Amino acid sequence: MVISGESVRLVSDTALVQRTLRSGQKVSFGGNVVVLGDVNPGAEIIADGHVVVLGALRGVVHAGAHGDCSATVLASSLLPTQIRIASYITRPPDGQPLPEAFCPEVAFLKDGEVVIEKYVISK
Amino acid sequence: MGVVYVVTSGKGGVGKTTTTANLGCGLARLGKQVVMLDTDIGLRNLDVVLGLENRIVYDVVDVVQGRCRLKQALIKDKRFENMYLLPAAQTKDKTAVSEVQMVELIEALKPQFDYILIDCPAGIEHGFKNAIAGADRAIVVTVPEVSAVRDADRIIGLLEAAGLTEPHLIINRIRTRMVQNGDMMSVEDMLEILAVDLLGIVPDDDSIVTSTNRGEPAVLDDLSRAGLAYRNITQRLCGDEVPLLDLSEKDGFLNRLKSLFATR
Repeated sequence: MVISGESVRLVSDTALVQRTLRSGQKVSFGGNVVVLGDVNPGAEIIADGHVVVLGALRGVVHAGAHGDCSATVLASSLLPTQIRIASYITRPPDGQPLPEAFCPEVAFLKDGEVVIEKYVISK
Repeated sequence: MGVVYVVTSGKGGVGKTTTTANLGCGLARLGKQVVMLDTDIGLRNLDVVLGLENRIVYDVVDVVQGRCRLKQALIKDKRFENMYLLPAAQTKDKTAVSEVQMVELIEALKPQFDYILIDCPAGIEHGFKNAIAGADRAIVVTVPEVSAVRDADRIIGLLEAAGLTEPHLIINRIRTRMVQNGDMMSVEDMLEILAVDLLGIVPDDDSIVTSTNRGEPAVLDDLSRAGLAYRNITQRLCGDEVPLLDLSEKDGFLNRLKSLFATR
C-alpha cells in the first residue's frame, strides 16, 4: 500500500464484519474491528484495538482488550449494554432508556474513566 | 412434495404450540394435506391443544425406533380428514431421537403432505436441533417483551447459521392499548432489532385460553380475534396478500361503558 505525501501511521490489522451481529454471536480479533451493521443486545465484540460500528451498537463491546488504553469505541448509535476499554468498564445509567437518536459518539478513556462524547473529526 | 416449516422461538410460552395448531387447522380448512409433528419430547402439548390426546397409541419415538410403522402413529384429526398429528412421547426425553432420524422421518412424510409443521420445543439444545434438522423454512414466534425479543434474535442467528435463512416472524399476544401507552414494544421496535420478514401479528385474546382448554383451535372460531389473525396468517402462508389486522380496539358503546366500570 502506498500513501504519498507525508507518511501516515497505519494502525495494525482491522477485521471487517459486513453484517448485523445477532444475540449470542461474538467477534474476537487481535486488532481493530469495524462492523457494517447493528450489534444487537447479547452480541459481543472483543478487539485488541478500536471498535467502529456503522449502525446501532446495543451489545457488549471490549476495546483494547489486551490493555491498550488508547483504544476507542465509535458508533453511529452508541447504545451498548456495557462498554469495556482495556481494564475499565462502564454501563448506561440505571433506569434511563437510552435515546434512540442517530448520533455518532465515541467512547474513550480519560483520567481512568470511560468518557463518551459526540464524535467530531479532529483535524 | 410438501414444504416443511419449523415453528420455533427460543423463549418458552410465547405461543409456538398454539401457532402450530392454529396454522395446521387453518391450512386444513383451506383443503391442504397437513401433518403436524410435535418434537417436544417429554413435555408434549400439541396433542392437548388439538384435543387429540385420548387417541395417542404410538408416538414419534416409537416410529424412529422401529416399534411401529409411520402410518400407525399418525393420528387423523377429528375435524378434518386431511389433517394428521404425529405426537411426541411423554415418557422419554429429547435424547431419544437424533437429527439423522428426524431427517429420515421428514423425508418419509414429504411425499404425502402439502405442509409439514414442526412444533419445536423451547431452548437451543438437542430438542431445537432435532426440530430444525429436516426443515425447509422457519417461523419464529415471539411476544412484545424485551426478554422474548432477545431470545428470538438468538434463535434467528442460530437458524441462519443452520441454513434456514429468511425466517418468518409472528408477533403474538399484542395488547394494543399498552403499545399505545408506550408500555409495550411496538411492531416497529421489534422489527428494528429482529429485521426479518413479518408474517403476521396476533392480538392477546381470552379465546385462546378457552380454545386451548377445550382442544378446539381458535382459528376455527369465527368470533375470535386471534382466530381471525391466524386465518389471515394461513392465507399469507399460501401466498395471498392479506393486510395486517387493525388491532386498535373498536370503541363501541358497550366497550366504553365497560371501561368506565373496569378496574385495572
